[in-house]
Amino acid sequence: METIIRVEKASKCINRGRPNEIWPVKDVSLQIHRGEVVVLKGPSGSGKTSLLSLIGCMSRPTEGRILIHGRDVAKLPERFLTDIRRRLFGFIFQQFNLIQGITVRENIMLPLYPTERSFRDMKNKAEELMKSLGIIERQHFRVKGLSGGEQQRVAIARALINDPEVVLADEPTAHLDTKLSKDLIEILRRLKGEGKTIVIATHDPLVYEQDIVDRIIEMRDGRIR
Amino acid sequence: MIKHLKILEFAISSLWRRKFKNLGIIFVFSLIIFVLSSILLLTYSFKKEAIAVLEGAPELIVQRISAGRHALMPVEYMKKVEKIPGVGAVIPRLWGYYYDISTGGNYTVMAEYRGLKDLLNIMEGTFTGEKGTCLIGKGISDARFAVIGSIIPIIGSDGKVRRLKTVGIFTDESRIITNDLIIITPEDFRDIFNLPENMVTDIVVQVYNPTEVDNIARKIKQILPDTRPITKNEILRTYDTLFDWRSGMVLTMFLGAILAFIILAWDKATGLSAEERHEIGILKSIGWETSDVMELKFWEGLVISSLSFLTGLIGGYIHIFFFGASVFSPALKGWSVIFPEFHLMPYINPYQIVVLLFMTVIPYMAATIVPSWKAAITDPDVVMRG
Repeated sequence: METIIRVEKASKCINRGRPNEIWPVKDVSLQIHRGEVVVLKGPSGSGKTSLLSLIGCMSRPTEGRILIHGRDVAKLPERFLTDIRRRLFGFIFQQFNLIQGITVRENIMLPLYPTERSFRDMKNKAEELMKSLGIIERQHFRVKGLSGGEQQRVAIARALINDPEVVLADEPTAHLDTKLSKDLIEILRRLKGEGKTIVIATHDPLVYEQDIVDRIIEMRDGRIR
Repeated sequence: MIKHLKILEFAISSLWRRKFKNLGIIFVFSLIIFVLSSILLLTYSFKKEAIAVLEGAPELIVQRISAGRHALMPVEYMKKVEKIPGVGAVIPRLWGYYYDISTGGNYTVMAEYRGLKDLLNIMEGTFTGEKGTCLIGKGISDARFAVIGSIIPIIGSDGKVRRLKTVGIFTDESRIITNDLIIITPEDFRDIFNLPENMVTDIVVQVYNPTEVDNIARKIKQILPDTRPITKNEILRTYDTLFDWRSGMVLTMFLGAILAFIILAWDKATGLSAEERHEIGILKSIGWETSDVMELKFWEGLVISSLSFLTGLIGGYIHIFFFGASVFSPALKGWSVIFPEFHLMPYINPYQIVVLLFMTVIPYMAATIVPSWKAAITDPDVVMRG
């Protein structure tokens, strides 16, 4: 199986050299293969989100290497990291991280603004995703008026608009009830069926006990157990 | 190209989302531009008006000075000046000021002389030079409700009243130079102010070659050491300095207010709110480059500052040229009792406008872009976690 992401002895330090220095990720090594659904499981503060950030090129490791398609990205200039983030990853955040004052459609199209794709193209792609996620009738609503489940779908649509190879989801069910969580699992199942690689940071059994999950990586105190 | 247009579109939509904050900034910013542009436009127009007025003024005037003050000049001085090579004609002038108790106005009284020919063309009525008649400016006509045929009583230096008949009124358009002016005959002037026949107020010296004016002035000073030759260029320079000084004074008056506004606008513009920082983090995390975020902030800053600049500048233009600079004119026009109600010609100095643009728009753009740049170069997860 093709390895997309390889983490080699990666550590992340925050506030290095200060009294409040912490190491949310310590000496972690792992591999993620194409088409896999991997769960990073662990209690709050175990380093799941920080590791997800490192994998998704949202931050750089203090030590160790992150290889994407065999290329070490830890030392790449910021511009290249952004390019990798845009082309390769789709993020679904725990807090959804939508821009509140704009509409559902604008939020979904946001990753495509700094590209040369035309407005019409962006609109068509956004509509296609909204239809598949059942939020098409909400497209002109501002996101702050939406329910948690609807906001989650908007966040998923935004994560998918670049047609990413890898979907990274940070505690995706944290703000959803059981029914909405099950709906989300179905969406993830569909994405897996489409060949997407999915990495989920969660401590929710409703997610990691699903049959779609290929591998569970347990974390505690920043390390893999 | 499409990318830049889309970012501009998003910038405008972002500005609209925070419309109350941004409208506040635009209001304050426009107000600063309004004050600054009003002062610049007004000062420049005054200077241009002064130059236009002085265009018809004599190239060289000679006054006598006694104990550092302007004194009457004996007519014999004229003969000495006439002998200087290069001097065309020497014309005596009689003029002074008259305080009118009934209106509380200070008038400029001048006896008719040869050089006034151009001035006499801009009036209603006819001045024949008959004793006991006068020409008055529009300001005096308005203050005294005088029309052609009205009698203007003038109290002479002997305390007796002279009754002058109004035979002409200067036109409204000439207000800037004739508003408080009374033209009378030389005989009446000497009678009213008790001026001896052998004395004049000053003399106008006509010079054949205008480039020789300074040389002639120097020679006059050598022959008549108690005189002060005043060239037109000197007057122009004085006006320049005077209006610069006055605009500086007005600027100083407003400095406190301007500073307070600047601090407020600076604070509003540069304080990146937690929401804005979070938004930058979101944009970075979903694939916006630092340069894209900078472009977004650049457009936002450009839209706000250009809109404010144009609003302030247009406001300043309307204030100066349509409403007669009602806010600043008392300080800039001077302190004569009868204010000329003239309308300034809209003169604009493009250099000043460009300087104003660079002094306001560029600092504002820098003030708004720098904090955004700081947030944008940080790892997105740090920005989002705050």
